[in-house]
Amino acid sequence: MKYIDHNIPEEILNIPAEQFELVERENIKDEKFKTEPIGFFKDAMRRMGKSKPTMISLYIIVAIIIAALIVPLFTGYKYDEQNVSFKNLPPKIPGIEKLGIADGSRVLTNRKASSLEDPDRFPEGCIIEIVNEYEYKGTPVVDVKVDYYKYLGVPEDQYHWFGTDYLGRDLMTRLFRGTRISLLIAFFSVITNVIIGVIYGAISGYYGGKVDMLMTHFAEVLDGLPYIVMTILFMILLGPGMFSIILALCVTGWIGTSRLIRAQFYRFKGREYVLAARTLGVKDITLIFRHILPNTVGPLITRAMIAIPGAIFSESFLAYIGLGISPPEPSIGILLADGQNVLLQYPNQTLFPAILISLLMIAFNLFANGLRDALDPSQRGEE
Amino acid sequence: MAEEKYLLEVKNLCRHFTSGKGKNKLTVKAVDDVSFAVRPAETFGLVGESGCGKTTTGRTIIRLYDPTDGKVIFDGREISGPMTKELRQYLTDNIAMIFQDPIESLNPRMTIEEIVGEGLAVRGMKDKEEIRKMVHEMLEKVGLTEEHATRYPHEFSGGQRQRVGIARAMIVKPRMIIADEPVSALDVSIQAQVINLLNDLKEEMGLTILFIAHNLSVVKYFSDRIGVMYYGRLVEVANGDDLYAKPLHPYTKALLSAIPEPNPITERTRQRVDYDPERDHDYSEEQPTMVEVEPDHFVYCSPSELKAYRKQLGIAD
Repeated sequence: MKYIDHNIPEEILNIPAEQFELVERENIKDEKFKTEPIGFFKDAMRRMGKSKPTMISLYIIVAIIIAALIVPLFTGYKYDEQNVSFKNLPPKIPGIEKLGIADGSRVLTNRKASSLEDPDRFPEGCIIEIVNEYEYKGTPVVDVKVDYYKYLGVPEDQYHWFGTDYLGRDLMTRLFRGTRISLLIAFFSVITNVIIGVIYGAISGYYGGKVDMLMTHFAEVLDGLPYIVMTILFMILLGPGMFSIILALCVTGWIGTSRLIRAQFYRFKGREYVLAARTLGVKDITLIFRHILPNTVGPLITRAMIAIPGAIFSESFLAYIGLGISPPEPSIGILLADGQNVLLQYPNQTLFPAILISLLMIAFNLFANGLRDALDPSQRGEE
Repeated sequence: MAEEKYLLEVKNLCRHFTSGKGKNKLTVKAVDDVSFAVRPAETFGLVGESGCGKTTTGRTIIRLYDPTDGKVIFDGREISGPMTKELRQYLTDNIAMIFQDPIESLNPRMTIEEIVGEGLAVRGMKDKEEIRKMVHEMLEKVGLTEEHATRYPHEFSGGQRQRVGIARAMIVKPRMIIADEPVSALDVSIQAQVINLLNDLKEEMGLTILFIAHNLSVVKYFSDRIGVMYYGRLVEVANGDDLYAKPLHPYTKALLSAIPEPNPITERTRQRVDYDPERDHDYSEEQPTMVEVEPDHFVYCSPSELKAYRKQLGIAD
């Protein structure tokens, strides 16, 4: 070490060590925190509560679930109660009927003008107005708007809020019962998928190397199987029903979750806190479930939430192409499939299930987005 | 080396990382033929630039990595052999590790009590009350309060977190601690605090510490003996004072010349020494080995270099 010329006096440069005094060399003592301890989930919930779309979609989901549970009990009809003489009734809702919507009216087209006078064809007071008058091959023809309930002789106090289907079954009862079943299928298949996916992905990601390679390839092979064909096979083997559908949704459904978990494990297993736990002698299984898995819970919940509308949609799709659960049990998909046969004549039979499934999908997706933002604020706004 | 009793002996330790297959195969010799020994109740500092293999050495000793070759002997028992349940138990009972990054090294989803108490729970302690009591005692020792036990890591400052990391390592009462750059992520005022704490605990518990760092002034303050690593190899081992007073290996000189001085006047004109292994060594004819130049001072050099070093120290051949 070379010193250069400077103007600092010798006595300052060479102060003996004894003259220095330690300013502070006492034991460290930290103060208590003044705030309340906030856990990870508490914090996430607080963040979620601040997001309006998330809360609104949460309310919608809760409302639909509650409706699915209790509405079928209060409509006064059973989901399989048929009354063929009251088939294809339009919606009629007490209260709103006076406003001119959902009043149980329909427009009957191409009726002979003379038949309007016939009390057997058009019972007393059922005609609301004549919409259109014209002639067809010399015969006067009318389009007439009628109170369809009176037209078919439905008792005064009988209301079908969403109308009835081609067998005269109350659509509202069927719709909410169908929602219940669709949700059940979705929840069960998602829970099974998450459990299988988490275990498979955790093992594959944690151990890595050859184990990982074999497991990943196996999943890839499974993923290559055509899923409709498998569903049909399950239907043949186990008969149509909820169980076969759940099984069909589970055969390949867990692969996505396992990939996600595997990636998360690769991300976290080299972290210092995992290494620290290993140097303390923590067992592999504890490392996987206690140290790494809780850190993947954010993406996992988000994924499960996104998977639920996916499962509902898959179920509807299967029902739509005729692979649904066995009648008379309804599901949203079956109602849609039935409704689309008569879409032009009775649009209400498609409209209500379509609105409900759209609401469910949007709400679940928005909720999943909000949840992801809440659980992992650093990813806010990413799609 | 002498027949002195060492707590930890590292003999020709190698750790190579490979990637790719066939002709794309790449081998990185992160640790290559490293030998040193640590006496009981001593602090052995391991210094070197980033990527020179200090951390890998530490992690290989505690078996986070498996050694490619060589032996590690702890208190007369080889700990580098095949991993058995019993060996893992022996290792984790005797050696603990403190990590570099105070943010990374604490699980964000666990409370401080869970983090610190885990070592006890792993060792079969079932009584939650007892664990809690011991955790509280340990927290007091590192300057935290009981109340902190229920908190999550994100509520603490860097220095506090590092002290939690120390508490976690100390609570299992290990005989040796591998401190992997425990202060390099902290600001200077906190560094002193943590180092002093480590020193106090060391004296109180009779610990042996393998201190890995790249900050030479910290190492000088803290270590009894120092090993300098360069590119996977140990190039010089000496007592702390010796190393600073009479560095032999050109890399050590380069490292020492890089220490900033707290005197602004001299700092402005401080001369940096460069180190270039191609230029500074001629190993085309002679192979370098680890040689004891004077008692307790080892240098990695070739015979002709050894002569030069001896001359420099004024020792006759």
